[in-house]
Amino acid sequence: MKFDRKKTGIISVIELKSWRVKALYMVLLVFMIIVALTCLLPPLWVMLSSFKTTAEFSQIPARLFPEHIDLSKIARVWKKTNFLRAYGATFIMILGDLAFTLVINGLAGYVLSRLKPKGSMLVFTVILWTMMVPNTMGMVPLYMTFVNLSMINTYLPMWLMAGANAFYILLFKGFFDSISISYIEAARIDGCSDAGIFARIIVPMSKPVIVTVSIFTINSAWGNFFWPYMVLKKNELAPVGLKIYQLQTQAIISIDEYMMSLMFVIIPAVLVFLIFQKYIMEGFTLGGIKG
Amino acid sequence: MKFMKPAVYSGLIKPNRKRTLFSSISAWILILPSLILLYMIVWQPMILGTKYSFYKMQGYTPQHFVGLNNYVRVIQDTQFLRTLGNTFSYVFWSLVIGFIPPVLFAIITNELIHLSKFIKTSIYMPCIIPTIAVTMIWFYMYYPNEGGLLNMLLSAFGVAPQPWLQDASKVIPLIIITMTWHHFGSTTITYIACLQGVNQELYEAAIIDGAGILKRVRFITMPQIMPIILLNLVRQIIGIFQVFEMPFVMTGGGPNNASLSLALQSYRYAFVFGNTESALALSCITFIILLVITAFYFRLEKKLDRDV
Repeated sequence: MKFDRKKTGIISVIELKSWRVKALYMVLLVFMIIVALTCLLPPLWVMLSSFKTTAEFSQIPARLFPEHIDLSKIARVWKKTNFLRAYGATFIMILGDLAFTLVINGLAGYVLSRLKPKGSMLVFTVILWTMMVPNTMGMVPLYMTFVNLSMINTYLPMWLMAGANAFYILLFKGFFDSISISYIEAARIDGCSDAGIFARIIVPMSKPVIVTVSIFTINSAWGNFFWPYMVLKKNELAPVGLKIYQLQTQAIISIDEYMMSLMFVIIPAVLVFLIFQKYIMEGFTLGGIKG
Repeated sequence: MKFMKPAVYSGLIKPNRKRTLFSSISAWILILPSLILLYMIVWQPMILGTKYSFYKMQGYTPQHFVGLNNYVRVIQDTQFLRTLGNTFSYVFWSLVIGFIPPVLFAIITNELIHLSKFIKTSIYMPCIIPTIAVTMIWFYMYYPNEGGLLNMLLSAFGVAPQPWLQDASKVIPLIIITMTWHHFGSTTITYIACLQGVNQELYEAAIIDGAGILKRVRFITMPQIMPIILLNLVRQIIGIFQVFEMPFVMTGGGPNNASLSLALQSYRYAFVFGNTESALALSCITFIILLVITAFYFRLEKKLDRDV
């Protein structure tokens, strides 16, 4: 094992020449590999179980691996559970969430960061408080509001909630604060309006924050369960998070088929993560987002 | 000499009245949608919820003011103390099980140069799986027969299948283990980001002074991440105190109300028993308890702001 690359951290390269420190390093490495495997094992088990037959799932003694892997089962379960419709519903929900999150929170961040009209400091303080004060009261009154505005069986409640995210407002504000004022002044001299400056100057320069917020929005919308459960009373409107709950409670499929349906929810999320990993990890330095 | 000033100068740095008025109107128009939504989704529910907790409700319509009656009824409910105790039990177990590991994992991972990318990616992976899917995965891992992963592993060592979630004394720690598995990755990554900001020269100086590895952790690493550790502590307490979705899906509050939290009980009042006013009163009680904790959080944050 080579340690030349080690430049940072508590243990230095020179110390790693001693066998005792080397042994300590190996113990720590093995320990973290076990932790990493603990994270991977549950989803992996679901994947393996999804290929088992119903009898195999509860046989004694139980086995980790299925007898044989039948790939056609994927298509069969996909059709039987009608997951295509759930994907479509989720797609619509995500598009709305994205539009509301980016436009409404983004504009608010822009106003607080750059335009700062009289009284905006007060608004800023109120938004800060909004983020800090725990919202335990929300459930019942919000449901009442959605019923009164006849938003039951639409995606509007989820979209509106996506648009009211104090944390993203502050994240956008923080990013816009770092854009040099001279760009904005130059555009203003050229006769650009406030909304025009936002669309033509601010947005193109804010790609990192927009991508990061988008990914976190997509991720949270993908598995959104509780509010869809509250407001979507028609089965055909159910997005994947709700669908996977309904499949379990209605018990119309066997346990191994259920495991496969779980994979339909997990795999797209994992794929998005692997593709945009860089932006997700950057999100932590951007503002310490809690996933 | 006034006429020597460039024309744009007076318009920008020292805006005239008309320009300010116009631009503040257009600015307010741009932020208006956000304010309307925040009002509708966050503030109004808070105000209405508090107000209606003092009213007799018929379904979702308030009837008449009843003072503290709803509160008295909620507190006298046989389940109230149980629920409050359960909620504190959730917080207690989350601190025992979930608080230290992210710190430890971050410090270790930051030392590793082999496989560190694989480890970071794997650790973060559970965070991106939707909560509902995580809940369901673990529901089946805790499955009481031998098909469940944990019982399968136990049977490999010859141990009889355990009832897991159906055991009232273990249900809360088991739910907390699931939540910890789901969330510890993002906390670990935040700590790692913080550790990478530690000045390397401090360690080198400590080595020269003859400080061992543990001493370096104690006197250099820990002081650097202490502010974030403290903030996470309060955040975690506040977050777990409102625990809802996982017990709701996993156990429904069972067995025999052993995992019933305040938020879940409030949901049941409103949407299972059709008792809206009790739901609101209980939420308000939860809110007051959390307000005390949040006040502490603000003081802590202020103190840290001064220190840094």
